[in-house]
Amino acid sequence: MNNENITVSEEISAEQQFFNEFNNGLHKLGKISLIAAIIILVAVPFIYGIVNGVSVDIGGFFSGILRVGIIYYPVALAEFLVYAPMLGVGGSYLSFITGNITNMKIPCVMNAKDIAGTEPGTPQHEIISTISVATSAIVTTLVIVVGVILLAPLQPVLNSEVLAPAFNNVVPALFGALGLKYFLDSPKIAVIPLLLLTLLCIFVPSMINQTSLLLLPSGGIALAIGWFLFKKNKL
Amino acid sequence: MNEYLQSVNAGYFYLLVAGVLAFITAICVLFLVKSYKAGIKIGMDKKVLKKTIMASASFTLLPSISILLGVIALSGTLGVPFSWLRLSVIGALQYELNVAEMSAQSLGMPGLSVSGLDPTAFTTIALIMTVGILGGVLYCIFFLKKYLKKLAGKPKTAGETGKKSFGAYATTAMFIGLCAAYIGSYIGKAIPREDSDVMPLIVAAIAGIVMSVFEFFIRKKNIRVLENFSLAASMLIAMAAAVGIAAII
Repeated sequence: MNNENITVSEEISAEQQFFNEFNNGLHKLGKISLIAAIIILVAVPFIYGIVNGVSVDIGGFFSGILRVGIIYYPVALAEFLVYAPMLGVGGSYLSFITGNITNMKIPCVMNAKDIAGTEPGTPQHEIISTISVATSAIVTTLVIVVGVILLAPLQPVLNSEVLAPAFNNVVPALFGALGLKYFLDSPKIAVIPLLLLTLLCIFVPSMINQTSLLLLPSGGIALAIGWFLFKKNKL
Repeated sequence: MNEYLQSVNAGYFYLLVAGVLAFITAICVLFLVKSYKAGIKIGMDKKVLKKTIMASASFTLLPSISILLGVIALSGTLGVPFSWLRLSVIGALQYELNVAEMSAQSLGMPGLSVSGLDPTAFTTIALIMTVGILGGVLYCIFFLKKYLKKLAGKPKTAGETGKKSFGAYATTAMFIGLCAAYIGSYIGKAIPREDSDVMPLIVAAIAGIVMSVFEFFIRKKNIRVLENFSLAASMLIAMAAAVGIAAII
């Protein structure tokens, strides 16, 4: 009996040791891959600039990245803290480089977890999660490749003057649809910021074209209301 | 097609993007093969692993088509190759458009529109979009190992036990703030005065109405498959309506 127990625990420890080594390997591979991907992605705008004989507007870049970073780096941190435990090691590295995390990778991993019957934190879940995210990313890339090939001949139509009003209003279309969805999901958080921002833009017209600056107070108010309601257990 | 649109739809740009995507896809294949082999090694059933691959592939098909619709929506202003790149890696439609709009404003433009763009503006906007989205990637590089190690020894977090943590609400709240700022600006812009423009508000309203129809079928009739298309389809219908409205007014 004792010998059997020792053999089982040796097997578990061998499996755990293999898994720890596997995870360490994924961390190493993940870090190297992500650093290489960053370099390649950042190079794309510069290569376009060199080919077209233009360079980055440095002032515009810093002004823009400040506005964008102040919002999206904290959002990315929240996503990282919430999603990384669900995605595991390999799943996290792949998800954060391939994107569409909330709308695709997380539901895909949850679906795979249910099918395979694994629990987060176990070696089995780590493997299922990585396989799921990798497959999802590959399929997305392939679908979009096929779509882009089919899209290329339609370019003159897409860029015609007739369709210009459609593409000039793509941002309002996004926020109309997205706004309704989020406002329906959390009306208690939405009412006050929406009302305040509307009044501000009606009475201070100079603010209308400064939406990127308005995002800070607007997001801050929504966040404060959300925190208050969360603490009161009213969300 | 104007000079700017020609430059962002040039043949070499397609090849450049294809190369970048091939590299990132190769990383995915590498992770997939390594994990599959590790699964076999720790005694997981091959059938379960294959089923996971099949299920994930089929689960992804519909949302991928909706991402493709997003590429169409972005391509009119940023060109097909860059839209293809942005929506294939890291980002998501809502991020890309919002950041492109913010970047255009930081360059002194009223917003993202083809008429105001040129190669210099595009280069800067493209760089802001790229660097601005790297937060999650950088957190992974620097903190993932330590973070997961720390969690491994701890009892389950609120997120894992089913109760949502504030992190999930915080992201929703930030996006609500974002939407409120934009919708507020469209209402302000529609007020009759110099430089007023009612089109953004009309387009936003149409997108909202179409989205509410989708939400009705998703929430009340439980047709969950529509979730994959609701955003992109609402946008495309509202954008198509903008063409009709512009022809009338």
